[in-house]
Amino acid sequence: MKRWIGIVQMVFFLSLIGAPWVGAAGPDTLVVGVSSDIHTLDSGVSSDNYDWRQIYPCYDRLVKYKVINGKGSTEVEPQAAESWSVSDDGTVWTFKIRKGMAFDDGTALDATAVKFSFERTLKIGKGPADNIGAIKAMRIVDPYTLEVTLKNAYGPFLQTLATDGANIVNPNIMKHEKGGDLAQAWLAEHTDGSGPFKLVEWTRGQRAVLEAKSNYWGGAPKVKKVVVRFMAESADRRMALERGDIDIAENILIDQIPALEKNPDVAVQRYPSQLVEYVYINNQKSPLDNPKVRQALCYAVDYQGIIDYVLQGNGVQMRGPVPKGMWGHKSDLFQHTLDAAKAKSLLKEAGFGSGLNLTLIYSERRSSWEQIATILQSNFAQIGVTLKLQLMANPTLRDRVDKGDFELCLGAWSPDFADPFMFMNFWFDSKLWGLPGNRSFYKNDEVDALIRKAASIADQGQRTQLYQKAQEIIMDDAPYIFLYQVQTVVPMRKNVHGYVYNPMLESMYNFESISKE
Amino acid sequence: MKPKTNLHPKWRELKLTGRLLRSNPTAMAGLIILVAMGLMALCAGWLAPYDPIKLSLGERLQPPGAVHWFGTDEMGRDILSRVMFGARISLRIGFVVICIAGGLGSVIGAVAGYYGGRVDNIIMRVMDVILSFPSLVLAMALAAAMGPSLNNAIMAVAFVMIPKFARLVRGEALSVKEMPFIAAARVSGARNRWIIAHHILPNCLNSVIVLGTLTLGDTILIAASLSFIGLGAQPPTPEWGAMISVGRKFLLDQWWYATFPGLFILTTVIGFNILGDALRDILDPRIRR
Repeated sequence: MKRWIGIVQMVFFLSLIGAPWVGAAGPDTLVVGVSSDIHTLDSGVSSDNYDWRQIYPCYDRLVKYKVINGKGSTEVEPQAAESWSVSDDGTVWTFKIRKGMAFDDGTALDATAVKFSFERTLKIGKGPADNIGAIKAMRIVDPYTLEVTLKNAYGPFLQTLATDGANIVNPNIMKHEKGGDLAQAWLAEHTDGSGPFKLVEWTRGQRAVLEAKSNYWGGAPKVKKVVVRFMAESADRRMALERGDIDIAENILIDQIPALEKNPDVAVQRYPSQLVEYVYINNQKSPLDNPKVRQALCYAVDYQGIIDYVLQGNGVQMRGPVPKGMWGHKSDLFQHTLDAAKAKSLLKEAGFGSGLNLTLIYSERRSSWEQIATILQSNFAQIGVTLKLQLMANPTLRDRVDKGDFELCLGAWSPDFADPFMFMNFWFDSKLWGLPGNRSFYKNDEVDALIRKAASIADQGQRTQLYQKAQEIIMDDAPYIFLYQVQTVVPMRKNVHGYVYNPMLESMYNFESISKE
Repeated sequence: MKPKTNLHPKWRELKLTGRLLRSNPTAMAGLIILVAMGLMALCAGWLAPYDPIKLSLGERLQPPGAVHWFGTDEMGRDILSRVMFGARISLRIGFVVICIAGGLGSVIGAVAGYYGGRVDNIIMRVMDVILSFPSLVLAMALAAAMGPSLNNAIMAVAFVMIPKFARLVRGEALSVKEMPFIAAARVSGARNRWIIAHHILPNCLNSVIVLGTLTLGDTILIAASLSFIGLGAQPPTPEWGAMISVGRKFLLDQWWYATFPGLFILTTVIGFNILGDALRDILDPRIRR
């Protein structure tokens, strides 16, 4: 029995030790509680909003998303670029760069720095390169004038310059280059931009700390420090928010929201988002290379049950890849619904009438995923598919997705600029297999041709037609299981002011204008 | 001195054990707890009011009440039914681990103690290495290396439990092998292997049973911990540790989810511990006399 008393004592003391460490932060420090650690800080590499949350405020971009009446919009306004002009055919853009901006080591932010940053991102060729992939060539007209030539007129070009992939990086980072890696190893763990913040600490699995620059050209941020704490448990984040240890809690389990709303110190805001959650089906792995098997899986999912109960109605089922609210969405596109009998017969036709074993990998990145995974397991069991669930750390999961080392995987995606390109080209272009976007390793030449053509013309009506035609083929091929589009719920302390939500900047914050009383 | 009855001595011993057990209230309490758990596990199929893995999303997170005595989880599954089926898994883990670890550990210990010398040294140093790790940490490492599954978790826990038994039996073997009846057996031509199997091991049995009962509680705890961190039972298996792992996310508003499986782990482990403590006293020859 003594052992038991010992354990009880130990737990008691540990809980005492734990308590003082997490004191409430002062008005100069903003603390955000998030679900998972970050991956890299290199804006030329990362295609993850959770990384961008930290990277984005450390850099300036040529343009930024406008805030209209306190709401984020998809229109852009000048940031590092003072003004710009465009040739009549829409292919040559000339940017006048604002004078007086500098990186921390005194290097001026000029046309050279912009050209360097874009070239670096394009050379690395990961996900962000596709954001600014329209660029063909760049020419420095004078130190503060940059001329950018596009491969073709490209509608959303200006907006792509407001995304994290278009961050302007200090050219001096090249002194950290090792073995021709374009300083990727160094920039993965550091930031070097002219933005309002800089990263001063990243303790893996614990926290990242951004420090405000009082001499930022756009005016000093209102808080001096931003601490992003990695707290895996939704319940932990919620308690920390209620205690005031953190100011903003990301990704709280929807079941806990009603209780949070009762707390007088907490404000819960809901925003219609374009964030979608879906399942990557590895199209290259047998038996998932058979479209009938993929179709069967799509028919086996209880979409309405998930939305009604797990999301508590805070979402709608996806209809094809392009979310509602984005142009190019096809409101009469075919949509899978739960039909176990049809799923079974499809499996039988594919030669798996006797059943099938599959593995789904997922992380705790989104608080709902564990429940979704369990529901999928049960749904698939109805059609004779035994689903093994494998939970892993988010960085491990992303590595496996990039390598194609999985069968099924839960994913979330949100657009960085308001163009169906974000969905159609990223998700289905066979050149973008892996993390950059085509995470189901899908390849269909017809779709490739359609979406590439759509990306190469400017006329929105014509592009809509091409994208919608591609969507019809895609629904037959069923490369993903399209689950739902969610509402973003952001609970924060009532004394936090100035937060602006933008569906293009999902999970990213305008730290520079947020203040705390 | 004539024995009261002409029962076989082994039966007499067992009857004595039974009498001592009955006269010891804590031991009886432990025994009753465990018998109840065992029955619940065996009869889960009949007793459980609902299917433990069938989802009914419309009834998710219902508080305990007349329909669902222990409430429901986030998938609308009945927690009482899941706890009942969970008893099967936890008890199975416990017994399988103790059989493997107790069996292997006893043989290893008996060999080490009986032969002595270099054999003893090598075996016991290996055991020391295993013992030098905290058992949960080592089990975690092994389970992670073998891949998350219930069977791998069982193997991992069994592995870390072996040295406990080996050390105990070795100590016993050291004293038993000096007994005159061992010398007698040797003189009459018995081989070492026969002596270990027929004299050394049976004489250590009492201590092994006591240690086994005491360790069973730990075993269930470690296995539940492995499931808790996702290395043991995989969903939708209703394992207690795995249930707590998910339930803790809802602990703030839905206290019943993690609480009931937790109470069952607590009760079972306490049951094994008090029974083990009592058995140690009852089976101790010095007390029996």
